[in-house]
Amino acid sequence: MAEILVAIEHRKQSLAEVSLQMLSKGRQLCDQTGDELVAVVMGRVASGYAERLARWADRVLVARNDKAGESLAEPCQKVLTSIIKERKPRLVLIGHSSFGMDLAPALAVAVNAPLATDCISIGIENGAISVTRSIYNGKVNAQLSFTQVDTVIITGRVGEFTAEECNKRGKVEEIDVSWDEAFPYKQFQGYIEQPSRGVDITQSDILVSVGRGIKEKENIKIAESLAEALGAVVACSRPVIDNGWLSAERQVGLSGKTVKPKLYMAIGISGAFQHMVGMKGSRMIVAINKDSRAPIFDIADYGIVDDVLKVLPELTKQIVELKG
Amino acid sequence: MDTIAFIKRVPDTSEADAIKIDASGMDIERAGLTFKINNWDEYVLEAAAQLKEKLGGTFTAVTVGNKDWNDVLRRALAMGADKAIRIDEDVSSLEPNAVALILKAVIKPLPFDLLLLGAQSEDFGSGQLGVTVAEMLGIPHAALVVGMEPGEKNLRIRRELEEGTLESYTIELPALLTIQTGINQPRYISLSGIRRATKMEIQVLSLGDIGLSREGIIPKLKLEKMELPPKGKKAELLSGSPGESAAKLAKILQSAGIF
Repeated sequence: MAEILVAIEHRKQSLAEVSLQMLSKGRQLCDQTGDELVAVVMGRVASGYAERLARWADRVLVARNDKAGESLAEPCQKVLTSIIKERKPRLVLIGHSSFGMDLAPALAVAVNAPLATDCISIGIENGAISVTRSIYNGKVNAQLSFTQVDTVIITGRVGEFTAEECNKRGKVEEIDVSWDEAFPYKQFQGYIEQPSRGVDITQSDILVSVGRGIKEKENIKIAESLAEALGAVVACSRPVIDNGWLSAERQVGLSGKTVKPKLYMAIGISGAFQHMVGMKGSRMIVAINKDSRAPIFDIADYGIVDDVLKVLPELTKQIVELKG
Repeated sequence: MDTIAFIKRVPDTSEADAIKIDASGMDIERAGLTFKINNWDEYVLEAAAQLKEKLGGTFTAVTVGNKDWNDVLRRALAMGADKAIRIDEDVSSLEPNAVALILKAVIKPLPFDLLLLGAQSEDFGSGQLGVTVAEMLGIPHAALVVGMEPGEKNLRIRRELEEGTLESYTIELPALLTIQTGINQPRYISLSGIRRATKMEIQVLSLGDIGLSREGIIPKLKLEKMELPPKGKKAELLSGSPGESAAKLAKILQSAGIF
């Protein structure tokens, strides 16, 4: 029987959400094709996750190793390479997270498999696997198939697939893996958490969030005036942090915070998926951006296509007047 | 420290108004688009320039593309690169694995301690090229690097994970890092740098010069088609002058009980 394999990511006592999303997608594909779904979880505390993973997977392979860390690319590559060579799954699914980006390309070389990364849809039709990738800043979709098909590796975009609950009771198997005690050429030293300066954007009902379109640091005060009029907190997208205009704790998105305020105002934010995954659960979304094709308008409730530097002062003025 | 930076030129689609699929259905219409250095690669060049300033050694910039790609190499030279190499080949339709084979061949005769690439590109955004090259070369790698400090024979690096968490490693040289935006503040290029760069030579090599042929690069993926994404629910757009659209929005927010 053909197999679809999912490489599970976990860190600091929790499973990565994207791994459950990949597992759920794998389940759906297996239900359609009759393939067997195999989850592989690796590392020191791997066995603790097995029961949960078995709710989706037909088989959970637990590669427990007291000397290995959590989801680190090198030991995981070693384990997966031997499993893939032995089991020859038709498809390997990995989340396109930081872990997946560090692991999947090296794994693909190691097992000589084609790799399609950051896919937004994955399908199997008449035995042929195809994927859709979102390219050119989200403005174009590319459909790809594979010319070499023994084993295909696909990484799926974080947040693009839904982790639907499932109640299977798959088999759990401990597998014997031995890997080097450490990887002397690359040694894990620990995690570093973002220092907090006391602003918690996840606690605010209204966020005025600024992006690249605010143009320069000086202009952030225009957004601060609007935030003040609305009783909101100022948040931002990644380019604002990269430019050092605001502190990292205000960043919304994949590498920052996930927020669900009553109102999210996206000011000069075009809507890279890494940003949208962190705010699409907001109750009301307003986007102001001069690019009418910006992806942010696809998830916003209301939009203004114009220069944010012209609209913002007007909006602040109107709100102050209406408040009387 | 001898550093090689792989950089890329991309169409600027972030604010381009109407992206159209061309008649072949396999690419976008490139006429009318402006091109620029890949955003991630600006940080790559700054990182390479800083390493050279701090530690000495050489800084080589490499790109793959036609003569229009010279402009990203000029930028590298203006930022302090000693040498610029362009492989004269259109790789816009090649998958990352194929481009990795080219990069592997280019650097074969070059001494290096560190290879730097952007964590991803703005056009195709696969985020896989760097790590693929590292594995092909059999050297250690780290993706999404947001910090690095050189030590004696290694580097102390920080990788970006999700939700504001970083992980820290020591990594032995030679190594390959893919650089995440924000790792540094790319410098403005000085006039004297630009003058210096225009006088410097760019070494141009063909695939044949590095022992490859287009036919010899066998693709593992096949592009079936490109298309515009299906429209989302789409926002209700508020029209008018800035004052008019702002007034409409203010009323909507008021009736929604926001203030």
